[in-house]
Amino acid sequence: MVLDELAIIVVRGFGLGSIFALVAMSMNITYNASHIINFAQGNMFVLGGFLAFLIADILVGIPMWIIMIPVAGVVLAAIMTLQGWVTLLPLRHSVEQHSWLITTMAVSIMIGALMLIFQGPWVSTVNSPLPPFMVFGVRTPAPYAAISVLMFVWFFGLRWFLSKTLTGLAISALSQDLEAARAAGLKVKRLQLLSFTISGLVVGSAGFIAAPIISIASDTGIRYVLNGFIAAVVGGFGNNLGALIGGPLVGIVAMVATYEIGGQYQTFVSLLLLVGVLLLRPEGIFGRTAARRV
Amino acid sequence: MATQAIAAETGHRGARLNSDIPQLIIGVIVVAATTFIPDIAGNPYWTHSFQLVNLFICAAVFQNLLMHDAGQASFGQSAIFGMSAYMAAIATGMHGLNYGIGMVIGVLASVVGGLLFAGPALRVQGYYLGFVTLSAATVFPELLIALNKYTNGINGISIPFPTWHKEVFGLSMLSLVIVGVTCASLAFHVWLRSTGFGRAMRIAAASPEAAQSLGINTGLMRCLAFTIVSAGTGVAGLLYPPIVGFVSPSAFNLEISIVFFLAVIVGGRGQILGPIVGVWILYLLPNVLLVELVNFRLLAYGTLALVVMLLFSDGLIGSFERWRLRRNQSTQRVNIHLDGLLGPVRTVGARAPRTEVAIDVKKARKTFGSVIAVDDVDMQVMRAEIHGLVGANGSGKTSLLNVFNGFSRLNAGSVTINGADITRLSSNRIAKLGIGRTFQTPRIFNAMSLWENLEIGLDANTGKSVAPADVLAAMKASMGEQSVDLVPHGQRRMIEVMRAVLMGADVLFLDEPAAGLSPGEREEFKNLLRRLRDEMGKTIVLVEHDLQLVWDVADRITVLEAGKMVASGSPTEIAGNPSVRKLFIEPTHA
Repeated sequence: MVLDELAIIVVRGFGLGSIFALVAMSMNITYNASHIINFAQGNMFVLGGFLAFLIADILVGIPMWIIMIPVAGVVLAAIMTLQGWVTLLPLRHSVEQHSWLITTMAVSIMIGALMLIFQGPWVSTVNSPLPPFMVFGVRTPAPYAAISVLMFVWFFGLRWFLSKTLTGLAISALSQDLEAARAAGLKVKRLQLLSFTISGLVVGSAGFIAAPIISIASDTGIRYVLNGFIAAVVGGFGNNLGALIGGPLVGIVAMVATYEIGGQYQTFVSLLLLVGVLLLRPEGIFGRTAARRV
Repeated sequence: MATQAIAAETGHRGARLNSDIPQLIIGVIVVAATTFIPDIAGNPYWTHSFQLVNLFICAAVFQNLLMHDAGQASFGQSAIFGMSAYMAAIATGMHGLNYGIGMVIGVLASVVGGLLFAGPALRVQGYYLGFVTLSAATVFPELLIALNKYTNGINGISIPFPTWHKEVFGLSMLSLVIVGVTCASLAFHVWLRSTGFGRAMRIAAASPEAAQSLGINTGLMRCLAFTIVSAGTGVAGLLYPPIVGFVSPSAFNLEISIVFFLAVIVGGRGQILGPIVGVWILYLLPNVLLVELVNFRLLAYGTLALVVMLLFSDGLIGSFERWRLRRNQSTQRVNIHLDGLLGPVRTVGARAPRTEVAIDVKKARKTFGSVIAVDDVDMQVMRAEIHGLVGANGSGKTSLLNVFNGFSRLNAGSVTINGADITRLSSNRIAKLGIGRTFQTPRIFNAMSLWENLEIGLDANTGKSVAPADVLAAMKASMGEQSVDLVPHGQRRMIEVMRAVLMGADVLFLDEPAAGLSPGEREEFKNLLRRLRDEMGKTIVLVEHDLQLVWDVADRITVLEAGKMVASGSPTEIAGNPSVRKLFIEPTHA
């Protein structure tokens, strides 16, 4: 393998993996607070990219682009707060604890369907406002670097939030023991809702920045939620450090698969990776096995 | 009356809990009518539409079985369905084989696919399995396109099926086959539930611990469930090429999986009519009403599923069933007691001196990380004695109980029960040695009738005689189709004890059986324990916080503290022990 091919695989694989890591982190937040895994997370991410597509005309110049990153985050945060409210609604009374599996899947389908209605079965593209950069003589679109930076920003940002702020510590407490947190007087529902909001911020900003390098279409969300999930599983579910390592790992494996056996096998290779990890080490690299409760 | 197992107070009996049979009859009529009427009327559009609808219903029936009875959430049924359709089409359309041979290959391919799902399902459950199957459904059409050398890729395979459209009594062969297969799948689901195997499958899904304590191998159960469901879905898939005359990768994409999955949710999980109502609402309605607006179809799926989940979380048929049961709610309370079982079977007459060792624990040690839950415990339990296991919270009582019936494994030491070394055995194999267990929160299954809740004990019985057949028949008759909801809370534990007796267990482990019992019920419970010991010769190990009850009823008591055994002996010997007195001083409800 020549050096420039290797550079493409590593740089683009890392960028792609950063996307997966960000999706994985955004899933971890809601998972830790509520044990809900949002099947719609992939479509939420694509929606962030779709936002960049919608406002492409006013996106002139880098300062404007930078200003719009948090805006995209806030818009998705609002949408996900609404989704969180709907998802948590049946859990209040119903004994059916797995209703979220269905409601988040339904929301995912609805987002995909709405995009299909708005833009048809086509793929939208967005131009990057940042100039491409050179790695070993290979032109690399800037978002591959920008999304990697965002991954670290969110990783350290969330780490600070969850361990240094009172609200963050309360959310961390939910992940340890929900019943104890409730007994301690924490407003569990409100914190869980907040976890959806934060999750939206992460995934919205990620989708916006990654817009030029992803395919914005009605049926691509599923790919991002699957790979994000795989990244989370590889690292250990609920563990952001695991996601930080799992994401790029999955990204590079996917890139190698694309180069070596063809892009049409990329999802298949990801599936094999998921099954392999689940069979050999279901708790992931950084996960712990929980004691059995009877 | 000696043979009566329950005494019901007066009041009307209420509606039948189980409506599988009426639902089956309605389902068969609906499936047959919707296929035959357009066919006889000679309307090719509606004939074709309803052939496809009823075929999807067939696949959804198996999804229902997998989701509700086996408790496995699979988003990958389109791949299983497509596997057989495609393999049969490849065999016939590309290699010119007879469709009969293609069918065999197709079903085999589906079963192999199902076993590929079962592999991960052995290790992980719930959303993990959801994601694995979801990606399988995404990958399947992609692989069909990628492997175009073998599958004809995106162009698909077209196959003519002249013989399937021959007329028989004015109906096409194809319509007859579809109605036959779909009705057979509905009937199969109803039949499977009435068998011991079907009950075992449902318990394994509802409570793996309870299933293992009844000797059910939950992993094997999951594999069998996937095999049965894949074979059934595969048979349904075989009929797709004859209906459409063509297969292409896009026909078996994730959307079809979602239709199958959400049809069960919208119709009502576990309801026989659920798949029919679900496919009608999710597939038929949008495809007829929104025929001009294909793009809105997906939106309709998502919205309907969300609305149904928020408003009728049991699905449409499930909500109707709940309303029916509530409207006809029985006013009676059912009191169950074990007289019917205990009366006729006096296996042990006078109390013999207890010399035989039933449970022998040697240097048992169990650690969780750095915590030593059970610390070099040596203890013995004699045959036909009631043995109390007491200690403060966290002293290792439940940890020890979990070791006894195989839920956790010792790090060192050994446990011998009934002469067999069970230290390394799995819990379902331990159960088969005649070891029963009840749980802190009773494992009572609301979806099953009172009798079925006991019958699962009989299902687990490996040929030990527990009661004469006429006594069991009388029990079954007196309980009939009663709902377990009618049993007062305090008596629900009796169901578990009775279940263990019916299982033929001669060693019983009871985890806090008196929690939540009223003073009167406690007295009854003590009597029950004594009768189980004296009349049936059961060996009983009791973990209990109510020390008064333990001291009243136990023959011997073992006291644990921080994982160590601090005392063991008769109640009077133990009462003088200083470490035990401390237990009494501490608030006993802690």
